[in-house]
Amino acid sequence: MSLPKREMEELRPWVERTVKKVLGFSEPTVVTAALHCVGKGLDKRKTIDQLRPFLDDSAGGFVERLFEALEESRSARGNKGGGEKHRKRDLKDVFGDEAETGAKREAPEPGDGTVAKRKRVPRFEEVEEPEVIPGPPSESPGMLTKMQIKQMMEAATKQIEERKKQLMSRLLGTPAAAASFMNDAIEKARKAAELQARIQSQLAMKPGILGALGNTGPHNLVALANLHAMGIAPPKVEAKEVNKPTPLILDDKGRTVDASGKEVELTHRMPTLKANIRAVKREQFRQQLKEKPGEDLESTSYFDQRVFITPAQRPRRAFKFHDQGRFEKIAQRIRTKAQLERLQCEIAQAAKKTGIQASTKLALIAPKKEIGEGEVPHIEWWDSFILNLSTLYSLLININSSLFDTDKPVTLGVYLTKKEQKKLRRQTRREGQKEVQEKVRLGLMPPPEPKVRISNLMRVLGTEAVQDPTKVEAHVRAQMAKRQKAHEEANAARKLTAEQRKEKKVKKLKEDLINGVHVSVYRIRNLQNPAKKFKVEANANQLYLTGTVVLHRDVNLVVVEGGPKSQKKFKKLMLHRIKWEEHNSKRDDPDGDDDTKRNNKCWLIWEGTTKERSFGEMKFKQCPTENMAREHFKKHGTEHYWDLALSKSVLDGCTDD
Amino acid sequence: VFSWGSFHNAAPAVKKSRVFYGSLEEKERERLSSEAASSAASGSDAVKAGIEAGNINISSGETLEMEERVSERQQEALAAFERRRRARQITVSTDDAEVKAGLRALGEPITLFGEGPADRRERLRSVLSVVGPDALKKSRRDEERAKRSQDECQQTWYHEGSASLKDARLWLAKYSLPRAMRRLEAARAQRDVTEATRTIRQQELHKSLRNLNNFCSQIGDDRPISFCHFSADSKMLATASWSGLCKLWSVPDCNLIRTLRGHNTNVGAVVFRPQAGVSLDQSDVNLASCAADGSVKLWNLESDEPVADIEGHSERVSRVSWHPSGRFLGTTSYDRSWRLWDLEVQEEILHQEGHSKGVHDIHFHPDGSLAATGGLDSFGRVWDLRTGRCVVFLEGHLKEIYSLHFSPNGYHLATGSGDNTCKVWELRNRKCLYTVPAHQNLLSAVRFQPTDGHFLLTGAYDNTAKVWSHPGWTPLKTLAGHEGKVMGVDVSPDGKLIATCSYDRTFKLWLSE
Repeated sequence: MSLPKREMEELRPWVERTVKKVLGFSEPTVVTAALHCVGKGLDKRKTIDQLRPFLDDSAGGFVERLFEALEESRSARGNKGGGEKHRKRDLKDVFGDEAETGAKREAPEPGDGTVAKRKRVPRFEEVEEPEVIPGPPSESPGMLTKMQIKQMMEAATKQIEERKKQLMSRLLGTPAAAASFMNDAIEKARKAAELQARIQSQLAMKPGILGALGNTGPHNLVALANLHAMGIAPPKVEAKEVNKPTPLILDDKGRTVDASGKEVELTHRMPTLKANIRAVKREQFRQQLKEKPGEDLESTSYFDQRVFITPAQRPRRAFKFHDQGRFEKIAQRIRTKAQLERLQCEIAQAAKKTGIQASTKLALIAPKKEIGEGEVPHIEWWDSFILNLSTLYSLLININSSLFDTDKPVTLGVYLTKKEQKKLRRQTRREGQKEVQEKVRLGLMPPPEPKVRISNLMRVLGTEAVQDPTKVEAHVRAQMAKRQKAHEEANAARKLTAEQRKEKKVKKLKEDLINGVHVSVYRIRNLQNPAKKFKVEANANQLYLTGTVVLHRDVNLVVVEGGPKSQKKFKKLMLHRIKWEEHNSKRDDPDGDDDTKRNNKCWLIWEGTTKERSFGEMKFKQCPTENMAREHFKKHGTEHYWDLALSKSVLDGCTDD
Repeated sequence: VFSWGSFHNAAPAVKKSRVFYGSLEEKERERLSSEAASSAASGSDAVKAGIEAGNINISSGETLEMEERVSERQQEALAAFERRRRARQITVSTDDAEVKAGLRALGEPITLFGEGPADRRERLRSVLSVVGPDALKKSRRDEERAKRSQDECQQTWYHEGSASLKDARLWLAKYSLPRAMRRLEAARAQRDVTEATRTIRQQELHKSLRNLNNFCSQIGDDRPISFCHFSADSKMLATASWSGLCKLWSVPDCNLIRTLRGHNTNVGAVVFRPQAGVSLDQSDVNLASCAADGSVKLWNLESDEPVADIEGHSERVSRVSWHPSGRFLGTTSYDRSWRLWDLEVQEEILHQEGHSKGVHDIHFHPDGSLAATGGLDSFGRVWDLRTGRCVVFLEGHLKEIYSLHFSPNGYHLATGSGDNTCKVWELRNRKCLYTVPAHQNLLSAVRFQPTDGHFLLTGAYDNTAKVWSHPGWTPLKTLAGHEGKVMGVDVSPDGKLIATCSYDRTFKLWLSE
């Protein structure tokens, strides 16, 4: 237990004095040595050994004293540290901002669920709701009033003064400096403990909010324990004493009686069947469960309140009902706000687009209200503006609308002809070759092995080949195999992995849709055949087309959206590849009208581009009525597809007739 | 026995140690130290004395590292190779001016004495291979960004207009307001018509439209016919051709009346003045035409030479349109502007910018109060002629707007676009009323029925024209028959005839039988 430097410095004057007392004169070497021993954390015997050369016989006594002092100062410091912390917090709790007294008073008290709940941030920030936000510090019955707190504090300070005086008289024997130092620490610790205890008792007396907390017991046992350790009596305010066992008194018959002589019924534990015992135990256990869990936890004197332990069982939550219409009110407020914002945003947008910068001016000329289809206004809004205006403009307005992205210059990438590509390749290869040659010439690279084949083996390795043809042939073949292998490896390295290949394919199919989505609408007379349905759906999915299929009597509409290439493929599928007319299939259901099946056909109703996809994944929808189908399209903002297809079918019907 | 002897005599062969050509100091020191260790102090004193006297020199192990120096040289050579390789990969412009600009940007002299463009280019490349090719690109990008931000700062600006413009605006206000009143009154009167009669009329109209048939087909020129327009009395049809000729045809017998020679290139439009054939004199200006070279010409009905040329356009003029009063002529140009010409003053009174790309079509409101322009930027704008403001912004088309037309009812506007759709806009509420997925290729022309606006005619590059009922937008009839793209459509002011002209060099008249 070596001490930090600061503490050593604090100890130094005291040790000096002790040394002076023991030796009769001050001796810095001894002081340093003593401090050194203490600093190293040596025990008594060792310290005596160490100091013997300096102090001879008086070493024992000196070390005794030294250690006593050390002990005292240490405990004082411990108290000082802990106590100070405590005190600060509590004082703040008590004296905190007047406005926040109510809220803050509760804050450090754990265990009560409501506190945590109240502290929750209100969900709707912009809406001021007195129910949500913790109210102003009203003098609620459970809380201490300001006056009470003041009184308490005054009493506490008075007591502290008294205590101090007592202590002064008691501690006269010890050196003055140490005494004052100790005093200080003790005072702080005491103050804290006292305050806590007071508050505790006060709270215990108030039956309101903290009733349950009243018997939770040792609120600040740490502080009390510190006081005990210092040999100072705890403050007068009584905390709940730990229950002592009641004395066992037996009368002449051997029965248990209490102090007054009345018989006390002790619990009898009858040895019965194991099953019964278990039943009893279970019952007890259940009861324990029903009671507050963790109560025994709190009764231990080592329970630290500050540490938050989540109970094993969650306490049952009570219902919290809101007033009726509260959220409606909030929602209404939010809605109006959003509406206002939207309106402002719209006006600003319109102003930007039309080039009229002041949105107020735009609002002036904007139509005042929506005009219905059948109505004829008294005057058109653009004319009404002129009528109101006395002076006319003779201005030219230039609006720079280059802020729209559509007018970016279109640039093509650099494309080379076959010839150019070849030339480029030739050049780069030649350069590379030259570089290698240069490097070899400069000795930066070992010269490459002569390239031997079976055909030039005799020329390259003339004498050796003659001497040992078998060996040389083997060598040549090995070299050839090596070359082959290197080549194949290079090829394999260039090759895309299966995953990359897949990605590439998908990328090719998923086209760039920034410049608009291509849409095509097909109408089929009869789309009941599951095989054909499947073909339509599967192809659309494979081509990454989105859209919808609506099945209606004579108008089966297929709408697909995607890139131009996929559209082209899908068009081929619909108009050429699928043979729509079915002649005499064997499994003809009797009620299916043969006419539409035989004369089944697919028309391309419309193809064009839109800004965005309006549909999600390809889905089939059975629509028995026209209205339902139109609703379905209207939901996606594309009712014109349906209108067009339907009117076309009607027209076709007319021409058929 | 023999081996024994040899074993004892010769020490076991020491493993051949590496040949070491460096200094022997290391070994010497080792030896010395070992000696010192073995013979405690016998020789060491002497050696120490020797060292102290300076007779024995033992350095502290400094060696001259030749290997490193060699590798350094190698490194340099390799780096040079690398640099050359990089230089090869850098693409440098072959444009000498650009090369010079690049050199200047890098802080290099732009030219050296006796240096040709090729050498300069190589120099730039070698410099870039050292500093990295990004250096040049970065500076260029900065410039671009600065320029763009500067552009974005200025969005709307105003010029002061001429006095004639102010006069014109006042005149327009005076002209349009009573017309608007009259129109609204008529609309109110129309509202009083009972539902039944209205439906009957509508049904009759639909029936007649269903019976539209090709009435006449005429080869108009030996180049595609780009535009056709009926005169106000429905007695004449003007066609414009890419050959530069405009022709007047009698209707309905399709006889050539006159050929108007004046343009040298593709004529974009030829338009009758609103009162032509009704109240206008034959010698007065009756027609206006425009061509791709930016020439705009005015014609009368007497000669085949233009009466006047309107000069001022430098780029293609795609369409011209007359103001309902006949006093003003609107022209649209691919220089991103449209202009208003006053025939009385005979000058350009308004040069209106606002589109970010070329302006393709213009049409005036029947009251004469508004003008709608549509351009290649896919946005339409409706301008108030009396104030000069853009009062409605039509945003919704994905591609260029090629045609606009006001409905005679005054508050509907149809636009035909390159995205194969026709949109009908409601001006009173400023929104898109309906999107007609009209054709399978771009829409080149849209027209409302000029009498009541009860049907909509669209022509497209899919070789067909279509007739749509106006409220409801159901297809009534597809006018198929052209072998080429339909480039222009028109409805005669009396509402009986429909004309379409096409890329296949013919124009056709359609009549309900």
